Amino acid sequence: MSFQTLKVLEAFLENPGEELSGADVHKRSSIASGTLYPILLRLESAGWFVSRWEAIDPASVGRPRRRLYRLTRSGLAHASGVFASFGRGIPV
Amino acid sequence: MNPHDRWFDGVARNLIRHAARRAPPALTERLGEEWLSDLTGRSGAFSQLRFALGCCWATTVIAREFAAPVRAAAAASGSKTAVVDHADPGWSLSRRTTVILLIVGLHVLVICVLATAIEAHKIPKATSPPPRIEVNVLPRPEPPVPPVPSDPKLTQIWPDVPTPPWKPQAPSDPVLVGEPVTGGQPTPAGTSTPRPVNRVLGGPGAGFPNADDFYPQASIRLREMGIATVSVCVDGAGRLTGTPRIGQSSGSARLDEAALRLARAGSGHYRATTEDGRPVSACYPFNVRFRLRD
Repeated sequence: MSFQTLKVLEAFLENPGEELSGADVHKRSSIASGTLYPILLRLESAGWFVSRWEAIDPASVGRPRRRLYRLTRSGLAHASGVFASFGRGIPV
Repeated sequence: MNPHDRWFDGVARNLIRHAARRAPPALTERLGEEWLSDLTGRSGAFSQLRFALGCCWATTVIAREFAAPVRAAAAASGSKTAVVDHADPGWSLSRRTTVILLIVGLHVLVICVLATAIEAHKIPKATSPPPRIEVNVLPRPEPPVPPVPSDPKLTQIWPDVPTPPWKPQAPSDPVLVGEPVTGGQPTPAGTSTPRPVNRVLGGPGAGFPNADDFYPQASIRLREMGIATVSVCVDGAGRLTGTPRIGQSSGSARLDEAALRLARAGSGHYRATTEDGRPVSACYPFNVRFRLRD
């Protein structure tokens, strides 16, 4: 697992139930878009993440809807296991 | 949004749309919308452009990764069409796009370097009040005068008067006008005894402008200090008769220029050079000291 993937997981593990957009993950991990989005898609296709479109009306809100990612239960278990193996002790 | 930012925003959006089109078909619409949405969270033209270029790179990675499983599945089912459709996501287009992106990237790099260079050459603004300025205009000390036993207060300067060799003039043609010339030998001119002259050099006099008004702001910020020697030619009324010039630099072009401006502004307020108490035109140097005190 690459260092950048660990940083993406770390961003989600700050609050495992939280849904984050790619822009949010970038702010927390400072990973460039060229690396970030392949990681998000990779983890989603592996079943660690699920994603959905933000339920807003872009016309009324005045901005486009965001794609939100969230850790799945198995993803949370896997990610916690990875960090636990590093001795980080992330609570599940 | 100013036109400059609008231009960068337009370029970034076009790059993202282009990148999304190169993604696997199942992801094209999703990635395009997602990236355009995330682009709005970026502030600053360069940040947006960097984000868009990153999306182009992300497309390359995603296309490669997502094409592999499709290629494997297609190979397993024997569908050559599927292999061609997904295994080769427009590589001829990709090569051209890569060249375009490379050119755009180089331009961005050059712009960044130029912007950084221009920013580095700007003089930083003073964040604190400027320090106290003390500027002294020092008259250049006169050369030591050897003491004269009879009157030590006077400075005797013997004017350098050329003494041409005297030749007795023998009239080539005898002139007979009126009475004959009587008298002894003619006294040749220039052989009279030189008279001592008490010469006192001038300098900045009463009413000379305050030099701290001429201390350049840039030099204050950069804490430049030094002494510039300015040579001026002044008439008997204390006015400049020529353009002041730097005799010895202070080491800073800014301070030298300030000293010259001070010298020009002081025209009419110079103390004239005197000879035997009589003001005369003369050229002389004087020092301008620029010094900062905390």
